[in-house]
Amino acid sequence: MLARLRKWQIHWKIFLWAYAFFSFYPIIWMIFYSFKNNNEIFVTNPFGFPTKLRFENYVHAWNSFNVPVYFKNSVIVTIATVIGTVALSVMFSYAAARMNWRLKDVARIYIVTGMFIPVQVIMIPLAILVRDFGLSNSLLALIIPYVAFNLSFCTMVFYGFFRSIPFELEESACIDGASVYQAFFRIILPIIRPAVATVIIFVSLMAWNEFTMALMLITKEELKTLPLGILFFQGAFTTDWGAMGAVMTIASLPTLFVYILFSEKVEQALTVSSAVKG
Amino acid sequence: MHKYLGNKRAIAVFTLPALILFTVVVFYPIVQVFYRSFFDWDGLGQATFVGFGNYEKMFFKDRVFRTALFNGFIFALMLVCIQIPLGTLLAFSLTDLAMRGKRFLRISYFVPMVLSVTVVCQLWLSIYNAEYGLLNKLFEALGIPYRQDWLTNPKTAIYAVAFVNAWHYMGYHFALVLAAVKSVPEQFFEAAKIDGAGRWRTHFRITVPLLAETYKFCLVLAITGGLNAFAQMFIMTGGGPGTATYTLTYLMYRSAFRLNEFGYGCAAAALLVLECLIVTILINRFVARERIVY
Repeated sequence: MLARLRKWQIHWKIFLWAYAFFSFYPIIWMIFYSFKNNNEIFVTNPFGFPTKLRFENYVHAWNSFNVPVYFKNSVIVTIATVIGTVALSVMFSYAAARMNWRLKDVARIYIVTGMFIPVQVIMIPLAILVRDFGLSNSLLALIIPYVAFNLSFCTMVFYGFFRSIPFELEESACIDGASVYQAFFRIILPIIRPAVATVIIFVSLMAWNEFTMALMLITKEELKTLPLGILFFQGAFTTDWGAMGAVMTIASLPTLFVYILFSEKVEQALTVSSAVKG
Repeated sequence: MHKYLGNKRAIAVFTLPALILFTVVVFYPIVQVFYRSFFDWDGLGQATFVGFGNYEKMFFKDRVFRTALFNGFIFALMLVCIQIPLGTLLAFSLTDLAMRGKRFLRISYFVPMVLSVTVVCQLWLSIYNAEYGLLNKLFEALGIPYRQDWLTNPKTAIYAVAFVNAWHYMGYHFALVLAAVKSVPEQFFEAAKIDGAGRWRTHFRITVPLLAETYKFCLVLAITGGLNAFAQMFIMTGGGPGTATYTLTYLMYRSAFRLNEFGYGCAAAALLVLECLIVTILINRFVARERIVY
Protein backbone atom coordinates (compact mmCIF):
# COMPACT_ATOMS: atom_id res chain seq x y z
CA MET A 1 0.00 0.00 0.00
CA LEU A 2 2.73 2.43 0.98
CA ALA A 3 4.83 1.45 -1.99
CA ARG A 4 1.90 2.12 -4.27
CA LEU A 5 1.38 5.49 -2.68
CA ARG A 6 5.04 6.35 -3.21
CA LYS A 7 4.87 5.40 -6.85
CA TRP A 8 1.73 7.40 -7.30
CA GLN A 9 3.38 10.43 -5.74
CA ILE A 10 6.41 10.10 -7.99
CA HIS A 11 4.22 10.14 -11.09
CA TRP A 12 2.63 13.36 -10.03
CA LYS A 13 5.94 14.91 -9.09
CA ILE A 14 7.26 14.08 -12.54
CA PHE A 15 4.17 15.68 -14.03
CA LEU A 16 4.64 18.81 -11.95
CA TRP A 17 8.28 19.19 -12.92
CA ALA A 18 7.61 18.35 -16.56
CA TYR A 19 5.07 21.11 -16.91
CA ALA A 20 7.33 23.53 -15.05
CA PHE A 21 10.01 22.76 -17.62
CA PHE A 22 7.59 23.21 -20.49
CA SER A 23 6.40 26.51 -19.07
CA PHE A 24 9.78 27.93 -18.14
CA TYR A 25 12.20 26.55 -20.70
CA PRO A 26 10.99 28.57 -23.73
CA ILE A 27 11.83 31.75 -21.81
CA ILE A 28 15.26 30.41 -20.83
CA TRP A 29 15.78 29.34 -24.43
CA MET A 30 14.99 32.88 -25.58
CA ILE A 31 17.52 34.34 -23.14
CA PHE A 32 20.08 31.73 -24.24
CA TYR A 33 19.73 32.48 -27.90
CA SER A 34 19.95 36.21 -27.32
CA PHE A 35 23.63 35.48 -26.57
CA LYS A 36 24.28 33.19 -29.53
CA ASN A 37 25.05 33.70 -33.18
CA ASN A 38 23.04 32.02 -35.92
CA ASN A 39 25.46 29.16 -36.35
CA GLU A 40 25.13 28.23 -32.71
CA ILE A 41 21.33 28.58 -32.66
CA PHE A 42 20.72 26.65 -35.84
CA VAL A 43 23.42 24.01 -35.88
CA THR A 44 25.95 23.56 -33.13
CA ASN A 45 24.06 24.29 -29.93
CA PRO A 46 20.33 24.88 -30.34
CA PHE A 47 19.21 23.92 -26.80
CA GLY A 48 21.87 24.62 -24.22
CA PHE A 49 23.71 27.43 -22.51
CA PRO A 50 25.61 29.66 -24.96
CA THR A 51 29.26 28.65 -25.41
CA LYS A 52 30.26 32.28 -25.45
CA LEU A 53 28.20 35.20 -24.15
CA ARG A 54 27.87 37.44 -27.15
CA PHE A 55 26.89 40.78 -25.63
CA GLU A 56 27.40 42.33 -29.04
CA ASN A 57 23.87 41.11 -29.88
CA TYR A 58 22.54 43.52 -27.28
CA VAL A 59 24.76 46.35 -28.44
CA HIS A 60 23.70 45.72 -32.01
CA ALA A 61 20.00 45.59 -31.13
CA TRP A 62 20.17 48.68 -28.94
CA ASN A 63 22.03 50.74 -31.52
CA SER A 64 20.68 49.72 -34.88
CA PHE A 65 16.98 50.46 -34.41
CA ASN A 66 14.74 52.60 -32.30
CA VAL A 67 14.98 50.45 -29.19
CA PRO A 68 16.03 53.34 -26.90
CA VAL A 69 13.05 55.40 -28.11
CA TYR A 70 10.61 52.51 -27.60
CA PHE A 71 12.07 51.84 -24.18
CA LYS A 72 11.74 55.48 -23.16
CA ASN A 73 8.13 55.60 -24.41
CA SER A 74 7.26 52.45 -22.51
CA VAL A 75 8.73 53.90 -19.32
CA ILE A 76 6.86 57.19 -19.71
CA VAL A 77 3.55 55.51 -20.54
CA THR A 78 3.87 53.07 -17.65
CA ILE A 79 4.72 55.70 -15.04
CA ALA A 80 2.09 58.17 -16.21
CA THR A 81 -0.57 55.46 -16.35
CA VAL A 82 0.24 54.28 -12.84
CA ILE A 83 0.12 57.79 -11.38
CA GLY A 84 -3.06 58.74 -13.21
CA THR A 85 -4.89 55.54 -12.37
CA VAL A 86 -3.94 55.51 -8.70
CA ALA A 87 -4.84 59.17 -8.22
CA LEU A 88 -8.23 58.99 -9.91
CA SER A 89 -9.32 55.66 -8.49
CA VAL A 90 -8.21 56.39 -4.91
CA MET A 91 -10.17 59.63 -4.91
CA PHE A 92 -13.21 58.09 -6.52
CA SER A 93 -13.35 55.02 -4.32
CA TYR A 94 -12.81 57.09 -1.19
CA ALA A 95 -15.88 59.14 -2.00
CA ALA A 96 -17.84 56.04 -3.00
CA ALA A 97 -16.89 54.05 0.09
CA ARG A 98 -16.87 56.59 2.88
CA MET A 99 -18.67 59.77 2.01
CA ASN A 100 -22.42 60.31 2.03
CA TRP A 101 -24.15 61.03 -1.25
CA ARG A 102 -27.17 59.60 -2.93
CA LEU A 103 -25.91 57.96 -6.11
CA LYS A 104 -22.72 56.50 -4.72
CA ASP A 105 -23.62 52.84 -5.33
CA VAL A 106 -24.86 53.53 -8.83
CA ALA A 107 -21.68 55.44 -9.64
CA ARG A 108 -19.46 52.68 -8.29
CA ILE A 109 -21.27 49.90 -10.16
CA TYR A 110 -21.16 52.02 -13.32
CA ILE A 111 -17.37 52.24 -13.12
CA VAL A 112 -16.83 48.61 -12.13
CA THR A 113 -18.89 47.39 -15.12
CA GLY A 114 -15.93 48.49 -17.21
CA MET A 115 -14.21 45.26 -16.23
CA PHE A 116 -16.66 43.33 -18.40
CA ILE A 117 -16.00 45.33 -21.54
CA PRO A 118 -13.35 43.79 -23.78
CA VAL A 119 -10.92 46.44 -24.99
CA GLN A 120 -10.94 45.22 -28.59
CA VAL A 121 -14.63 45.90 -28.95
CA ILE A 122 -14.48 49.67 -28.55
CA MET A 123 -11.27 50.24 -30.48
CA ILE A 124 -12.92 51.82 -33.54
CA PRO A 125 -14.77 54.65 -31.73
CA LEU A 126 -11.81 55.08 -29.40
CA ALA A 127 -9.40 55.52 -32.30
CA ILE A 128 -11.71 58.15 -33.82
CA LEU A 129 -12.03 59.86 -30.45
CA VAL A 130 -8.26 60.02 -30.05
CA ARG A 131 -7.96 61.43 -33.55
CA ASP A 132 -10.70 64.03 -33.04
CA PHE A 133 -9.24 65.22 -29.75
CA GLY A 134 -5.93 65.69 -31.54
CA LEU A 135 -4.06 63.34 -29.23
CA SER A 136 -2.47 61.32 -32.02
CA ASN A 137 0.74 63.29 -31.75
CA SER A 138 1.52 62.52 -28.14
CA LEU A 139 1.77 59.62 -25.76
CA LEU A 140 -1.47 60.85 -24.18
CA ALA A 141 -3.15 58.84 -26.94
CA LEU A 142 -2.16 55.77 -24.92
CA ILE A 143 -2.01 57.10 -21.38
CA ILE A 144 -5.59 58.40 -21.24
CA PRO A 145 -7.22 55.17 -22.50
CA TYR A 146 -4.96 53.07 -20.25
CA VAL A 147 -5.99 55.09 -17.21
CA ALA A 148 -9.67 54.89 -18.13
CA PHE A 149 -9.53 51.15 -18.65
CA ASN A 150 -7.74 50.45 -15.39
CA LEU A 151 -10.14 52.57 -13.33
CA SER A 152 -12.62 49.72 -12.95
CA PHE A 153 -10.18 47.24 -11.49
CA CYS A 154 -8.48 49.74 -9.20
CA THR A 155 -11.73 51.21 -7.94
CA MET A 156 -12.82 47.73 -6.98
CA VAL A 157 -9.61 47.04 -5.04
CA PHE A 158 -9.59 50.38 -3.23
CA TYR A 159 -13.30 50.26 -2.49
CA GLY A 160 -12.92 46.92 -0.74
CA PHE A 161 -10.00 48.29 1.23
CA PHE A 162 -11.73 51.52 2.25
CA ARG A 163 -14.75 49.61 3.52
CA SER A 164 -12.51 47.68 5.90
CA ILE A 165 -11.06 50.71 7.73
CA PRO A 166 -12.92 51.98 10.85
CA PHE A 167 -14.88 55.20 10.43
CA GLU A 168 -13.55 56.54 13.74
CA LEU A 169 -10.48 57.70 11.81
CA GLU A 170 -12.35 60.51 10.13
CA GLU A 171 -14.36 61.22 13.24
CA SER A 172 -11.25 61.96 15.24
CA ALA A 173 -9.79 63.95 12.38
CA CYS A 174 -13.02 65.94 12.23
CA ILE A 175 -12.93 66.62 15.97
CA ASP A 176 -9.33 67.75 15.67
CA GLY A 177 -10.48 70.25 13.10
CA ALA A 178 -8.94 68.82 9.95
CA SER A 179 -10.63 69.45 6.62
CA VAL A 180 -11.79 66.54 4.51
CA TYR A 181 -8.80 66.99 2.22
CA GLN A 182 -6.36 67.02 5.13
CA ALA A 183 -7.92 63.86 6.54
CA PHE A 184 -7.69 62.21 3.14
CA PHE A 185 -4.05 63.02 2.51
CA ARG A 186 -2.67 62.76 6.05
CA ILE A 187 -4.65 59.88 7.51
CA ILE A 188 -6.28 57.77 4.82
CA LEU A 189 -3.57 57.66 2.17
CA PRO A 190 -0.85 56.30 4.46
CA ILE A 191 -3.16 53.49 5.62
CA ILE A 192 -4.01 52.15 2.18
CA ARG A 193 -0.41 51.56 1.14
CA PRO A 194 -0.78 47.76 0.69
CA ALA A 195 -3.68 48.26 -1.71
CA VAL A 196 -1.69 50.87 -3.58
CA ALA A 197 1.16 48.38 -4.00
CA THR A 198 -1.21 45.80 -5.48
CA VAL A 199 -2.63 48.32 -7.89
CA ILE A 200 0.78 49.66 -8.92
CA ILE A 201 1.97 46.16 -9.81
CA PHE A 202 -1.16 45.32 -11.75
CA VAL A 203 -1.31 48.57 -13.69
CA SER A 204 2.38 48.76 -14.49
CA LEU A 205 2.47 45.20 -15.85
CA MET A 206 -0.57 45.95 -17.97
CA ALA A 207 0.80 49.25 -19.28
CA TRP A 208 4.25 47.82 -20.00
CA ASN A 209 2.91 44.82 -21.92
CA GLU A 210 -0.19 46.19 -23.60
CA PHE A 211 -0.32 45.60 -27.33
CA THR A 212 -3.77 45.81 -28.93
CA MET A 213 -4.60 49.39 -27.99
CA ALA A 214 -1.08 50.54 -28.80
CA LEU A 215 -1.36 48.97 -32.24
CA MET A 216 -4.60 50.74 -33.11
CA LEU A 217 -3.96 54.09 -31.45
CA ILE A 218 -0.31 54.76 -32.28
CA THR A 219 0.88 55.24 -35.83
CA LYS A 220 3.95 57.42 -35.39
CA GLU A 221 7.29 55.65 -35.21
CA GLU A 222 8.60 57.94 -32.46
CA LEU A 223 5.62 57.21 -30.20
CA LYS A 224 5.73 53.42 -30.32
CA THR A 225 6.11 51.43 -27.12
CA LEU A 226 8.23 48.31 -26.82
CA PRO A 227 5.55 45.66 -27.49
CA LEU A 228 4.65 47.50 -30.68
CA GLY A 229 8.24 48.27 -31.64
CA ILE A 230 9.36 44.67 -31.34
CA LEU A 231 6.97 43.68 -34.09
CA PHE A 232 8.94 45.57 -36.65
CA PHE A 233 12.09 43.67 -35.98
CA GLN A 234 10.31 40.61 -37.20
CA GLY A 235 11.00 41.70 -40.75
CA ALA A 236 14.29 43.46 -40.13
CA PHE A 237 15.95 40.76 -38.07
CA THR A 238 14.72 37.57 -39.73
CA THR A 239 18.30 36.70 -40.47
CA ASP A 240 19.71 37.68 -37.10
CA TRP A 241 18.00 35.68 -34.40
CA GLY A 242 20.50 36.69 -31.73
CA ALA A 243 19.69 40.39 -32.01
CA MET A 244 15.96 39.62 -32.14
CA GLY A 245 16.31 37.58 -28.96
CA ALA A 246 18.20 40.46 -27.37
CA VAL A 247 15.39 42.93 -28.12
CA MET A 248 12.81 40.51 -26.71
CA THR A 249 14.89 39.97 -23.59
CA ILE A 250 15.31 43.73 -23.10
CA ALA A 251 11.53 44.13 -23.28
CA SER A 252 10.92 41.30 -20.81
CA LEU A 253 13.59 41.85 -18.18
CA PRO A 254 11.82 44.64 -16.26
CA THR A 255 8.65 42.60 -15.75
CA LEU A 256 10.60 39.40 -15.06
CA PHE A 257 12.61 41.17 -12.36
CA VAL A 258 9.51 42.62 -10.76
CA TYR A 259 7.94 39.18 -10.75
CA ILE A 260 10.94 37.35 -9.33
CA LEU A 261 11.35 39.97 -6.60
CA PHE A 262 7.71 40.24 -5.58
CA SER A 263 6.30 36.98 -6.89
CA GLU A 264 3.57 36.52 -4.34
CA LYS A 265 2.48 40.13 -4.50
CA VAL A 266 2.30 39.89 -8.30
CA GLU A 267 0.24 36.70 -8.28
CA GLN A 268 -2.09 38.25 -5.77
CA ALA A 269 -2.37 41.47 -7.76
CA LEU A 270 -3.19 39.68 -11.00
CA THR A 271 -5.70 37.27 -9.51
CA VAL A 272 -7.51 39.61 -7.13
CA SER A 273 -9.99 40.56 -9.84
CA SER A 274 -11.58 37.11 -9.60
CA ALA A 275 -13.40 38.30 -6.47
CA VAL A 276 -15.99 40.22 -8.46
CA LYS A 277 -15.77 39.36 -12.11
CA GLY A 278 -17.62 36.38 -13.50
CA MET B 1 -19.45 64.71 11.10
CA HIS B 2 -22.29 64.47 8.63
CA LYS B 3 -21.33 67.77 7.15
CA TYR B 4 -17.80 66.52 6.93
CA LEU B 5 -18.54 63.36 4.94
CA GLY B 6 -21.38 64.99 3.07
CA ASN B 7 -19.24 67.85 1.78
CA LYS B 8 -20.68 68.27 -1.72
CA ARG B 9 -17.70 70.06 -3.14
CA ALA B 10 -15.25 67.46 -1.90
CA ILE B 11 -17.40 64.69 -3.37
CA ALA B 12 -17.42 66.42 -6.73
CA VAL B 13 -13.67 66.95 -6.63
CA PHE B 14 -13.09 63.29 -5.78
CA THR B 15 -15.50 61.63 -8.18
CA LEU B 16 -15.92 63.80 -11.24
CA PRO B 17 -12.50 63.25 -12.84
CA ALA B 18 -12.93 59.46 -12.79
CA LEU B 19 -16.56 59.57 -13.87
CA ILE B 20 -15.92 61.95 -16.76
CA LEU B 21 -12.89 60.05 -18.01
CA PHE B 22 -14.68 56.71 -17.82
CA THR B 23 -17.75 58.04 -19.56
CA VAL B 24 -15.83 59.62 -22.42
CA VAL B 25 -13.29 56.84 -23.02
CA VAL B 26 -15.23 53.67 -22.20
CA PHE B 27 -18.97 54.27 -22.06
CA TYR B 28 -19.42 56.64 -24.97
CA PRO B 29 -17.48 54.42 -27.43
CA ILE B 30 -19.55 51.38 -26.56
CA VAL B 31 -22.72 53.30 -27.38
CA GLN B 32 -21.05 54.48 -30.56
CA VAL B 33 -20.22 50.91 -31.61
CA PHE B 34 -23.89 49.96 -31.66
CA TYR B 35 -25.02 53.25 -33.19
CA ARG B 36 -22.41 53.25 -35.96
CA SER B 37 -23.06 49.63 -36.84
CA PHE B 38 -26.22 50.83 -38.62
CA PHE B 39 -24.32 53.18 -40.89
CA ASP B 40 -22.17 52.96 -43.94
CA TRP B 41 -19.28 55.14 -42.88
CA ASP B 42 -15.63 55.57 -43.89
CA GLY B 43 -14.63 57.26 -40.63
CA LEU B 44 -14.29 60.72 -42.12
CA GLY B 45 -17.13 61.82 -44.39
CA GLN B 46 -20.88 61.72 -44.16
CA ALA B 47 -22.37 58.51 -42.80
CA THR B 48 -25.40 57.03 -44.52
CA PHE B 49 -27.97 55.06 -42.56
CA VAL B 50 -28.28 51.49 -43.86
CA GLY B 51 -30.35 49.84 -41.12
CA PHE B 52 -29.31 46.25 -40.69
CA GLY B 53 -27.38 46.36 -43.97
CA ASN B 54 -24.00 45.74 -42.36
CA TYR B 55 -25.30 42.74 -40.44
CA GLU B 56 -26.96 41.37 -43.55
CA LYS B 57 -23.73 41.70 -45.48
CA MET B 58 -21.82 40.02 -42.68
CA PHE B 59 -24.14 37.03 -42.26
CA PHE B 60 -24.95 36.35 -45.88
CA LYS B 61 -22.27 37.78 -48.14
CA ASP B 62 -18.97 37.82 -46.26
CA ARG B 63 -17.41 34.38 -46.55
CA VAL B 64 -14.71 35.28 -44.06
CA PHE B 65 -17.30 35.94 -41.39
CA ARG B 66 -18.15 32.29 -41.00
CA THR B 67 -14.49 31.33 -40.63
CA ALA B 68 -14.05 34.14 -38.12
CA LEU B 69 -17.00 33.08 -36.03
CA PHE B 70 -15.97 29.44 -36.10
CA ASN B 71 -12.36 30.26 -35.22
CA GLY B 72 -13.54 32.21 -32.19
CA PHE B 73 -15.30 29.10 -30.93
CA ILE B 74 -12.30 26.86 -31.63
CA PHE B 75 -10.06 29.30 -29.81
CA ALA B 76 -12.37 29.47 -26.80
CA LEU B 77 -12.74 25.70 -26.73
CA MET B 78 -8.98 25.17 -26.85
CA LEU B 79 -8.46 27.56 -23.95
CA VAL B 80 -11.19 25.95 -21.86
CA CYS B 81 -9.97 22.41 -22.55
CA ILE B 82 -6.30 23.14 -21.89
CA GLN B 83 -6.09 25.85 -19.27
CA ILE B 84 -8.76 24.84 -16.81
CA PRO B 85 -8.04 21.09 -16.49
CA LEU B 86 -4.29 21.63 -16.52
CA GLY B 87 -4.46 24.47 -14.00
CA THR B 88 -6.67 22.31 -11.80
CA LEU B 89 -4.40 19.26 -11.92
CA LEU B 90 -1.31 21.31 -11.20
CA ALA B 91 -2.91 23.25 -8.36
CA PHE B 92 -4.39 20.13 -6.73
CA SER B 93 -1.24 18.05 -6.89
CA LEU B 94 0.88 20.94 -5.71
CA THR B 95 -1.29 21.33 -2.60
CA ASP B 96 -1.39 17.57 -1.95
CA LEU B 97 2.24 16.63 -2.31
CA ALA B 98 4.88 17.33 0.27
CA MET B 99 7.94 18.10 -1.78
CA ARG B 100 10.84 20.44 -2.34
CA GLY B 101 10.85 23.31 -4.78
CA LYS B 102 7.17 24.22 -4.54
CA ARG B 103 7.96 27.90 -4.78
CA PHE B 104 10.03 27.35 -7.88
CA LEU B 105 7.26 25.29 -9.48
CA ARG B 106 4.68 27.94 -8.75
CA ILE B 107 6.87 30.62 -10.25
CA SER B 108 7.54 28.54 -13.36
CA TYR B 109 3.84 28.03 -14.03
CA PHE B 110 3.05 31.68 -13.59
CA VAL B 111 6.04 33.34 -15.21
CA PRO B 112 4.79 33.46 -18.86
CA MET B 113 1.99 35.70 -17.59
CA VAL B 114 4.33 38.63 -17.02
CA LEU B 115 5.62 38.63 -20.59
CA SER B 116 4.12 40.82 -23.27
CA VAL B 117 1.95 39.12 -25.85
CA THR B 118 4.35 40.33 -28.54
CA VAL B 119 7.32 38.67 -26.90
CA VAL B 120 5.42 35.44 -26.37
CA CYS B 121 4.22 35.32 -29.96
CA GLN B 122 7.63 36.12 -31.39
CA LEU B 123 9.11 33.48 -29.18
CA TRP B 124 6.63 30.87 -30.38
CA LEU B 125 7.19 31.93 -33.96
CA SER B 126 10.77 30.88 -33.49
CA ILE B 127 9.72 27.72 -31.66
CA TYR B 128 7.35 26.75 -34.49
CA ASN B 129 9.82 27.78 -37.20
CA ALA B 130 9.87 25.07 -39.86
CA GLU B 131 13.60 24.99 -40.37
CA TYR B 132 15.33 26.12 -37.21
CA GLY B 133 12.54 26.10 -34.62
CA LEU B 134 12.87 24.50 -31.21
CA LEU B 135 10.15 21.94 -31.90
CA ASN B 136 11.54 20.72 -35.18
CA LYS B 137 15.04 20.76 -33.73
CA LEU B 138 13.73 18.62 -30.91
CA PHE B 139 12.27 16.09 -33.33
CA GLU B 140 15.58 16.10 -35.16
CA ALA B 141 17.54 15.54 -31.96
CA LEU B 142 15.27 12.64 -31.05
CA GLY B 143 15.81 11.18 -34.48
CA ILE B 144 12.21 11.56 -35.63
CA PRO B 145 12.02 12.46 -39.32
CA TYR B 146 9.00 14.68 -38.75
CA ARG B 147 9.01 18.28 -39.84
CA GLN B 148 6.01 20.49 -39.64
CA ASP B 149 5.17 24.04 -40.40
CA TRP B 150 2.08 24.31 -38.24
CA LEU B 151 1.47 27.97 -38.89
CA THR B 152 1.34 27.82 -42.69
CA ASN B 153 -0.95 24.83 -42.78
CA PRO B 154 -4.53 26.18 -42.90
CA LYS B 155 -5.80 23.14 -41.00
CA THR B 156 -3.45 23.41 -38.03
CA ALA B 157 -2.74 27.15 -37.89
CA ILE B 158 -5.65 28.13 -35.64
CA TYR B 159 -4.83 25.35 -33.17
CA ALA B 160 -1.16 26.28 -33.11
CA VAL B 161 -2.05 29.92 -32.44
CA ALA B 162 -4.62 29.07 -29.76
CA PHE B 163 -2.09 26.82 -28.10
CA VAL B 164 0.30 29.73 -27.66
CA ASN B 165 -2.41 31.68 -25.87
CA ALA B 166 -3.18 28.64 -23.71
CA TRP B 167 0.49 28.36 -22.75
CA HIS B 168 0.77 32.07 -22.05
CA TYR B 169 -2.15 32.35 -19.63
CA MET B 170 -2.31 28.87 -18.12
CA GLY B 171 -0.58 30.18 -15.00
CA TYR B 172 -3.44 32.54 -14.37
CA HIS B 173 -5.96 29.73 -14.06
CA PHE B 174 -3.47 27.76 -12.01
CA ALA B 175 -3.06 30.65 -9.57
CA LEU B 176 -6.81 31.20 -9.31
CA VAL B 177 -7.49 27.55 -8.52
CA LEU B 178 -4.55 27.34 -6.13
CA ALA B 179 -5.70 30.39 -4.16
CA ALA B 180 -9.21 28.96 -4.00
CA VAL B 181 -8.06 25.50 -2.84
CA LYS B 182 -6.04 27.08 -0.08
CA SER B 183 -9.09 28.93 1.19
CA VAL B 184 -11.13 25.75 1.61
CA PRO B 185 -11.19 24.90 5.34
CA GLU B 186 -9.09 21.86 6.26
CA GLN B 187 -11.97 19.99 7.94
CA PHE B 188 -13.66 19.35 4.59
CA PHE B 189 -10.67 17.27 3.51
CA GLU B 190 -10.30 15.63 6.89
CA ALA B 191 -13.94 14.58 6.89
CA ALA B 192 -13.48 12.97 3.47
CA LYS B 193 -10.31 11.23 4.62
CA ILE B 194 -12.07 9.75 7.64
CA ASP B 195 -14.82 8.48 5.37
CA GLY B 196 -12.12 6.69 3.39
CA ALA B 197 -12.24 8.68 0.16
CA GLY B 198 -9.09 8.67 -1.99
CA ARG B 199 -7.29 11.82 -3.03
CA TRP B 200 -8.81 12.33 -6.43
CA ARG B 201 -12.21 11.19 -5.30
CA THR B 202 -12.06 13.82 -2.58
CA HIS B 203 -11.09 16.41 -5.12
CA PHE B 204 -13.75 15.62 -7.65
CA ARG B 205 -16.53 15.18 -5.15
CA ILE B 206 -15.60 17.92 -2.69
CA THR B 207 -13.00 20.40 -3.89
CA VAL B 208 -14.31 20.97 -7.41
CA PRO B 209 -17.90 21.64 -6.30
CA LEU B 210 -16.62 23.94 -3.56
CA LEU B 211 -14.64 25.91 -6.12
CA ALA B 212 -17.65 26.43 -8.39
CA GLU B 213 -17.35 30.21 -8.10
CA THR B 214 -13.73 30.11 -9.18
CA TYR B 215 -14.50 27.84 -12.12
CA LYS B 216 -17.24 30.14 -13.20
CA PHE B 217 -14.74 32.96 -13.35
CA CYS B 218 -12.20 30.79 -15.19
CA LEU B 219 -14.83 29.79 -17.74
CA VAL B 220 -15.93 33.35 -18.43
CA LEU B 221 -12.33 34.41 -18.73
CA ALA B 222 -11.27 31.59 -21.06
CA ILE B 223 -14.32 31.79 -23.32
CA THR B 224 -14.48 35.57 -23.68
CA GLY B 225 -10.70 35.61 -24.06
CA GLY B 226 -10.97 33.11 -26.91
CA LEU B 227 -13.81 34.91 -28.65
CA ASN B 228 -11.91 38.20 -28.46
CA ALA B 229 -8.57 36.79 -29.57
CA PHE B 230 -6.70 39.12 -31.83
CA ALA B 231 -3.07 39.87 -30.98
CA GLN B 232 -1.86 36.30 -31.50
CA MET B 233 -3.28 36.15 -35.01
CA PHE B 234 -2.04 39.58 -35.86
CA ILE B 235 1.51 38.78 -34.85
CA MET B 236 1.87 35.13 -35.77
CA THR B 237 -0.17 34.59 -38.90
CA GLY B 238 -1.61 37.92 -40.03
CA GLY B 239 -4.97 36.16 -40.29
CA GLY B 240 -3.48 33.71 -42.78
CA PRO B 241 -2.71 31.45 -44.43
CA GLY B 242 -5.37 33.06 -46.61
CA THR B 243 -8.12 33.84 -44.16
CA ALA B 244 -7.72 30.63 -42.13
CA THR B 245 -7.05 32.30 -38.78
CA TYR B 246 -9.45 35.25 -38.93
CA THR B 247 -11.45 35.96 -35.81
CA LEU B 248 -14.22 38.50 -35.31
CA THR B 249 -11.82 41.01 -33.79
CA TYR B 250 -9.48 40.54 -36.72
CA LEU B 251 -12.37 41.08 -39.10
CA MET B 252 -13.20 44.27 -37.21
CA TYR B 253 -9.60 45.44 -37.32
CA ARG B 254 -9.25 44.80 -41.03
CA SER B 255 -12.54 46.47 -41.93
CA ALA B 256 -11.94 49.60 -39.89
CA PHE B 257 -8.20 50.14 -39.99
CA ARG B 258 -7.30 48.66 -43.37
CA LEU B 259 -10.37 49.03 -45.59
CA ASN B 260 -11.88 52.12 -43.92
CA GLU B 261 -15.26 50.41 -43.57
CA PHE B 262 -15.90 51.73 -40.08
CA GLY B 263 -19.60 50.93 -40.05
CA TYR B 264 -18.98 47.33 -40.99
CA GLY B 265 -16.22 47.04 -38.40
CA CYS B 266 -18.59 48.38 -35.74
CA ALA B 267 -21.14 45.73 -36.70
CA ALA B 268 -18.51 43.03 -36.11
CA ALA B 269 -17.62 44.63 -32.76
CA ALA B 270 -21.27 44.87 -31.75
CA LEU B 271 -21.73 41.19 -32.53
CA LEU B 272 -18.71 40.44 -30.38
CA VAL B 273 -20.19 42.33 -27.43
CA LEU B 274 -23.41 40.36 -27.78
CA GLU B 275 -21.51 37.08 -28.01
CA CYS B 276 -19.58 37.79 -24.82
CA LEU B 277 -22.68 39.01 -23.03
CA ILE B 278 -24.62 35.87 -23.92
CA VAL B 279 -21.76 33.63 -22.80
CA THR B 280 -21.43 35.46 -19.48
CA ILE B 281 -25.17 35.29 -18.85
CA LEU B 282 -25.37 31.60 -19.77
CA ILE B 283 -22.46 30.71 -17.49
CA ASN B 284 -23.92 32.68 -14.63
CA ARG B 285 -27.27 31.04 -15.21
CA PHE B 286 -26.10 27.45 -15.35
CA VAL B 287 -22.87 27.23 -13.35
CA ALA B 288 -22.73 27.73 -9.60
CA ARG B 289 -26.02 29.38 -8.97
CA GLU B 290 -25.59 29.46 -5.23
CA ARG B 291 -22.75 31.25 -3.58
CA ILE B 292 -20.87 29.12 -1.05
CA VAL B 293 -19.81 30.73 2.20
CA TYR B 294 -17.61 28.79 4.54
